[in-house]
Amino acid sequence: MELRRGDKIEVFQPSTDEAWEPYMNDFLGCHGIVTDPDTIVNDPDALVEVSLEDRGTHRLPQDSLRRLEG
Amino acid sequence: MQICPVRQTILFLEDQIGPGGLPDPRGQRISEQIMTLAEEIAEGAAGQTHLTAIESLVEEYEADQSPEPTRAFGKKIKQMITDHKEVFVSHIQSRNCPTSDCSKLAPSPCQMACPAGIDVPTYLALIAEGKDAQAIEVIRRDNPLPWVCGLICTRPCEMMCVRARIDTPISIKFLKAFAAERAMSDRAYVNPEPKPANGKKVCVVGAGPGGLSCAYYLALMGYKVKIIEALPVPGGMIMVGIPRYRLPREVIDREVAMIEALGVEICYNTRFGKDITKAALEEQGYDAFFLAMGAHKGWSLGIAGEDEFSRAIDAVTFLKDVALGEHHAPGTHVVVVGGGNVAIDAARTSLRLGAEKVTIAYRRSREQLPADIEEVEQAEEEGIEFDFLTIPKAIVGQKDQITGLSCIKAELKKKKGSDRLAPVPLEGSDFNIRADAVIAAIGQYVDDDGFEAFDRVSWSRRGTVEVNHASMETKEPGVFAAGDAVSGPATVIEAIGGGKRAADAIDRHLRGMPQPRMPRVPVRHHTEPVMEMSASQKMTLKAPKMPMLAMDRRRTMFQQVELGYDEKSVRKEASRCLRCDICRRCGECVEICRDKMGINALRLGYMSFDKQKPTDFRATAENCITCGACAANCENHALVMDEKDGQRRLLLCGTLLNSQAIQYCEGCGAKLGSVEYTRFIDKKTQDVAQANAGRLLCHECQRKLGARAGQPKGPISLV
Repeated sequence: MELRRGDKIEVFQPSTDEAWEPYMNDFLGCHGIVTDPDTIVNDPDALVEVSLEDRGTHRLPQDSLRRLEG
Repeated sequence: MQICPVRQTILFLEDQIGPGGLPDPRGQRISEQIMTLAEEIAEGAAGQTHLTAIESLVEEYEADQSPEPTRAFGKKIKQMITDHKEVFVSHIQSRNCPTSDCSKLAPSPCQMACPAGIDVPTYLALIAEGKDAQAIEVIRRDNPLPWVCGLICTRPCEMMCVRARIDTPISIKFLKAFAAERAMSDRAYVNPEPKPANGKKVCVVGAGPGGLSCAYYLALMGYKVKIIEALPVPGGMIMVGIPRYRLPREVIDREVAMIEALGVEICYNTRFGKDITKAALEEQGYDAFFLAMGAHKGWSLGIAGEDEFSRAIDAVTFLKDVALGEHHAPGTHVVVVGGGNVAIDAARTSLRLGAEKVTIAYRRSREQLPADIEEVEQAEEEGIEFDFLTIPKAIVGQKDQITGLSCIKAELKKKKGSDRLAPVPLEGSDFNIRADAVIAAIGQYVDDDGFEAFDRVSWSRRGTVEVNHASMETKEPGVFAAGDAVSGPATVIEAIGGGKRAADAIDRHLRGMPQPRMPRVPVRHHTEPVMEMSASQKMTLKAPKMPMLAMDRRRTMFQQVELGYDEKSVRKEASRCLRCDICRRCGECVEICRDKMGINALRLGYMSFDKQKPTDFRATAENCITCGACAANCENHALVMDEKDGQRRLLLCGTLLNSQAIQYCEGCGAKLGSVEYTRFIDKKTQDVAQANAGRLLCHECQRKLGARAGQPKGPISLV
């Protein structure tokens, strides 16, 4: 999945990436917008900046995110 | 009405901090520390040791040297916590406030989106009122570089702007730049008063946005801060990575000077680990370290010929050399490889230095370009060409003279097990791009050279410093890190937010206070009064167009390309803000009007994040009867019903949704609702109204008349 700036996303599962910290489990189920995808290279391994509704902005591993339609 | 004890404790503490609060600095300091911990409990960001830490701080109020008011206040807070301990524990364990009192002050989506947590609606309201210096004061509570960010921020706030659900987001970034420039010009851009020196010293490595942010907030807290900087200039990547046509040097210099004015010392041309060591700094008495060295090393392409030619360079080195004064064109025909913002910057810089033709070679399609759309558009306007689906194979030439970049065309295909489109070379599609300089802009990484002395700091598999993001603390106690060194190449505002969070964590570390469990949500300091305007005005205001530098200058000079809005446009644009700090978009008003009253006058489709529908503030007046049911149920007082000049008015965060003439009882002169309201009531109470014989009467007079006519005397139902 390739994420673009402005995509609506859901944090749908915990990531197995080392960058996943315990507090990020609080974000499971949250919806938000991709505010800064990987702006250098389209790297599936890059951490993506997302702004989550009522939860602030965080950089999360891509495998924890799924794109929402619309 | 009783409110949540956690929120009540915060309110008690707020009253005791600052002028008019507790008489002794010690009492004020204890109150500030308890308030920080209590706020984290309210936000759900507290750890298991927060309550214990509060209890031990409360004991400090009652120390022998404390004046009587401080001791008395300590007893009050102690009682509050003892009486409601289970509520505090419940907030910590469930991360939830059962009464919702603690979430009522949740920040707006734009503030939440900002990695530095700037209180956007408050400063926009101040800008709308022409109070630019006050706006800058608000911004600098969370970001010490408002002018820099006003010109180059990636503006996540605008991505979450609720106004975008109606038309276009507020131009938050440009408004900030205007306010900063105006305040600086008026000599009204001033530093807050720092706390008295506390005798502790912190060493910051790197004078980039993360390092400067951390240094600024530590200096305000009374710390002595020294910044070690390898470059001869401040700013890090914002100085040597971002070209001057986007961010003039004077902007950085002026904002850095404000930070230096707080006593922050910057040691230039000093490479950490080489010119100065950790051991030497520890000997000088530094109590903590903050690593913000950035990601200044550019990846190479890894293709044939790359090491053979002096004009095969990486974009980071190229942009740095230009920023430091090397103003020779890299070549006549320049090819930049990459598709990110750095590639665009390198290409536009080459053009300004005199290159005749500049081409960006990117291995995917236009749709996948990771660079900002505005940057891409501006580059194309200036004449930069793009070669999409182009994979570089080799740099060709002879005797240190590049003649071209050998490439192969690509097609995008999904690889097995992935839904991402990856570029795959098309056999036999080799071609050559004419070039005498090739610039690689395919990413940067952190240079860890010189940091071996931090032997307990661990590094991620991405080559970045590992931290706990709640505190930005590394695995080595007393060593903190943020910015690109932690995230890899990322945004300026993220580095600034990380620096601020680290400053707070360093302060807690040195005071022995517990760290938060997760990064804190932004804090709202204040609610600025709303600005009144008609629904038509609110709907029809449009974002201004940015005036741009003339094209000939854009292609030849490093003058700022975006010239900024004029004052009139700025004030108007700021007043387009919906004030989401007041209206939390719970949608209760819409439901009550539609489902309880059966009127459905509020067309506020922007309220839902997931299911947006059309919005038109003007449509309210078509059906609204000014009954006030929506306003009466608005917990945040975003919807207000008032009376002015004989009119009953409904306002949403200052936007006048409806205004109807008030009527008076013919019997006793009592104030009644509008014609529309009375008609609605009459329709609902037809049996009672029959006795009125068409007269305009208040409920009391209707009842009296109804009683005489043998009508029911019970209360008149509105529903």
